[in-house]
Amino acid sequence: MRYFLQRMLQFAVVFFLVTFGVMIFMRIGMNKPGDPARTMLGGFVTDQKAAAVNKQYHLNDNVFVQYFYWLAKMFRGDFGISVQQNITVANYMKGRVLVTFFLGFYSLLWALIIAVPVAVYQAYRRDSNFDRAGNLFSFLFVSLPALVLAPVIIQLFVIRWAWFPRISEKVMPWQSLSGHFKNFFLPVVVLTLPLAAIFARLLRADIVQTLQSDFITLASAKGVPPSRVLWTHALRNSLFSLLSSVGVQLGALVGGALVVEQYFSMKGMGALLLTSILSKDLFVVQSVTAIVVAVVSVANLLIDLTYAFIDPRIRHARALT
Amino acid sequence: MSIAIQASTRTDDGPLLELEGVRTHFQTPRGVVRAVDGVSLTLERGRALGIVGESGSGKTILSRSIMGLLPTRGTIRQGSIRFEGREIGGLSRRAMRDVWGKEMAMIFQDPMTSLNPLMKIGAQIAEPLRIHLDMSRSDAWATAERLMNDVRIPAAGRRLRQYPHELSGGMRQRIMIAIAMACGPTLLLADEPTTALDVTVQAQILDLLGEQRRDRNMSLLLVTHDLGVVAGHTDDIGVMYGGKLVEMAPTAELFANMKMPYTEALLQSIPKLADPSHTRLNVIAGRPPDLVNPPVGCRFSPRCPYAQDRCREEEPPLIPTVEDPRHTYACWYPVGSPAYHETKARRQREAEVAA
Repeated sequence: MRYFLQRMLQFAVVFFLVTFGVMIFMRIGMNKPGDPARTMLGGFVTDQKAAAVNKQYHLNDNVFVQYFYWLAKMFRGDFGISVQQNITVANYMKGRVLVTFFLGFYSLLWALIIAVPVAVYQAYRRDSNFDRAGNLFSFLFVSLPALVLAPVIIQLFVIRWAWFPRISEKVMPWQSLSGHFKNFFLPVVVLTLPLAAIFARLLRADIVQTLQSDFITLASAKGVPPSRVLWTHALRNSLFSLLSSVGVQLGALVGGALVVEQYFSMKGMGALLLTSILSKDLFVVQSVTAIVVAVVSVANLLIDLTYAFIDPRIRHARALT
Repeated sequence: MSIAIQASTRTDDGPLLELEGVRTHFQTPRGVVRAVDGVSLTLERGRALGIVGESGSGKTILSRSIMGLLPTRGTIRQGSIRFEGREIGGLSRRAMRDVWGKEMAMIFQDPMTSLNPLMKIGAQIAEPLRIHLDMSRSDAWATAERLMNDVRIPAAGRRLRQYPHELSGGMRQRIMIAIAMACGPTLLLADEPTTALDVTVQAQILDLLGEQRRDRNMSLLLVTHDLGVVAGHTDDIGVMYGGKLVEMAPTAELFANMKMPYTEALLQSIPKLADPSHTRLNVIAGRPPDLVNPPVGCRFSPRCPYAQDRCREEEPPLIPTVEDPRHTYACWYPVGSPAYHETKARRQREAEVAA
């Protein structure tokens, strides 16, 4: 219980630092003396309109006051409006959340589905050709970020072979499963490969180390078949770096989505974040950041709970505090 | 217990384990390490054999070689290992899997790292039962509880559902013994089973091992660096040096009539309670031999206070003593021989002159 309170406090602090920090930096960027609303709205607005926006969102007040007005509104479900598009932020984000959610979910899922068996087999057949090839590929994809990988993939699969559409439409699985697959496939590939590479490298190294443990030798000496030694004894004891990396990579995935959505012209949260940063659409930027922080924090909390689920020592240590 | 009976009523006659010229060499960047270099021995059913030697004498690798639990790459295995009348020396890990845990079990040195930290105690004891004896989960757990009672773990029913970190080192070593006993093996290999434990716990564990061995009519190969450990707990003792057996005898005979100066030196290196405090510890000067380039002649000759020229040129064979054919040793000038007394007397005179 105390552990849980601790985590909630942690979340509150992180949430405050990130959203408040984003606001400060955005404001620094648009701080033409006296009139943030004019910057936000662009050049051609009447004085009355600018004054009204300034007043409505307390843009001329002290930043702390401003922040807490925004926070209070957000807790009531009001994310503010996009001053550029003149619609509510909630409406603006609707539909886009799902695009980014599917991108992140699929790439994380596939990265794990690929990385875990590859790493297990690499560690089992250490220094074999399979292991060497695995290391080469994971090294390759770790050093190829989405930024570089996306144009290569587009060149091959879209331009040369034309297997996939150039622009990935936002087709949801309940609309058309094949359409959903077609439109999401390439962006997910671009996000998955580097992720799978990182996971495979980490997990392979950990399993190799675990396989040196005495309890692994004992398991073999009990007559446990190698497959069970690997998947039950070694894998479970090697999951910790992988898990913490999943937490870290979730944050990085948002950055990846930003790039990939741009390349494939997808209307997702990443693209939204990028356009609104460029057009200084303060409330959109803040809302998107808030959602990202919340999602990443909750995911990391889940990962921490998974630790305790896997390792009784962590469970017991937490029960004591 | 039904399993134990099943194992002890096996009808094969002849010794349980016979080693003939067993060699285990490892290829390393430095050259070939001759960790075990021609060991022959026989272990009868129900007997306990202690293998004693310094670290690097090859005793651990010998026990691993018998088990066949060696790295596959860069390992050269030669010689014959006959277990229960069949040759297992050349078997692959895959083929050994049916033997491991079922007919031959092993106990490791460090109980703190030898149990899977993420698995319940009960599951770890039940595992070999489920694999080898096809027991159902509930049967295996019930048997696990009985095994824990056998190794005197209080509140076994509760402990069964605990994890290794909730148990002390001594308790964990008892668990290791319970795991080893699970399928009623005929041979138990214990590699320094008490080295990592408190002195008070050491005796308990050794007594427990002896008692389990007698109850189950199991043979025990006890590997240790401590002559004191094997003294009261084994029928025979083999002394290893530089990958070879240098002396072997029934325990009482060995202590009464040791032939190898190395055995003598090992015995003298045990501190005695009767010594006044601050008595200098007797150490064996020098270091264990380099197993890539072992010394010519007797491998102990560079460190042996009684070594003569012949010892440095010609390797002594393992021969039986006149008094007891079960007592074998490999030395040109054994303890008690005229040459030995002569050298000893000369050493003493030199020491007096120096003083």
